[in-house]
Amino acid sequence: MNKETFLSELKRSLGRMPESEKKDVLYDYEEHFRIGTAEGKSEDQVAASLGNPRLIGKSYAIDSLLEDRKEGGQAPASFVLRAVFASISLTFFNLVVVLGPFVGLVGVMIGLWATAISLPISGVAAVLAPLAALIIPQWVSLGGLSAFFWIFGGIGVAALGVLAVIGMYLLSRLFLRATAAYVKLNARIVTRRK
Amino acid sequence: MNIQFKKGVLELCVLVVLCRKDYYGYELVQAISKNIDIAEGTVYPLLRRLTKEGYFKTYIQESATGPARKYYQITEKGKEYQKVLLEDWNRFISGVNNLIGKEEVA
Repeated sequence: MNKETFLSELKRSLGRMPESEKKDVLYDYEEHFRIGTAEGKSEDQVAASLGNPRLIGKSYAIDSLLEDRKEGGQAPASFVLRAVFASISLTFFNLVVVLGPFVGLVGVMIGLWATAISLPISGVAAVLAPLAALIIPQWVSLGGLSAFFWIFGGIGVAALGVLAVIGMYLLSRLFLRATAAYVKLNARIVTRRK
Repeated sequence: MNIQFKKGVLELCVLVVLCRKDYYGYELVQAISKNIDIAEGTVYPLLRRLTKEGYFKTYIQESATGPARKYYQITEKGKEYQKVLLEDWNRFISGVNNLIGKEEVA
C-alpha cells in the first residue's frame, strides 16, 4: 500500500469528523511518511508498519463521537447508534458486550412503548364505544355495562395512557443517555481510558 | 499478546517516554515500537486523545535536516496522570508476579 492509498483510506474511515480535524489527524501520518521515506524506507514499508488505516481511523472516529457527547447537548438517537456501531466494528469484544444488551434493551423499550401507546388508544375507543353501540349495534356490544362506565372508564384509561407516554419519553431519553455512557465505558475498557 | 492489553500498556509507555523529553511523532513511535511489537499507527490516535485531554501540548519546530516536525510535550497534568498509571501498573505487575510465583510452588 502506498502513502496515497493509506491516507485516503484513513481519511474515509474517519467518518463524520469535521474537515479541519481530519486534516489535523492526517498531518501526523503525512509527517510520519515524510520522515520514514527520508530515512530510506519505501512508502509500502512505512504503511505496513503503521498498520490497517481503517482500524486506525475507527479509533479516531470513536474518540471524536464520545467527545461530542461529552460536550453536552442533546443525545439524538442517530448519535447513539453511530457510537454503538462504531464501537462494534472495532472489536468482537464490543460485539458481545455492547450489541447483546443493547438489542435486548431496545426490544424492551419497544415493548414498553407499544403498551404506553395502546393505553390512550384503547381509552379513546372505550369513550366512543357507547356511540358505536348506538350506530352499529350488530358490531359493538357494551357487555351489559352502562354507557357512563365506558365513557368515564375510557377517560381514565386515556389519561393514564398519556402519563405512560410521557413516562416512556423520559425513560427513552434516560436510555439513550445511559447507552452513550455505556458505550463510553466500553471504550474506556478497550483503551483503558482513565 | 492480547491487543487490548497492549493498548492499555501503550498509554503508560507513551506517558513515561514523554516524561523524559519532548519527542516528535515519528521518533516517539520508533522509540516505542523498538521495544514493543505494535502497529505503529496506533500511537497517533492515543497521542491525539491524550493531547485533547490536556496531558500533552504540541508545537511545531523546524529541523536542521528536513521539514518541520510536530513535537509532543508532557504537561503538569500529564505528569500527574503518568504517576497514577505507573503506580497502578506496578501494583498490577507485583500482583501478577505474586500469583505466578504461587502457581509454581503449587
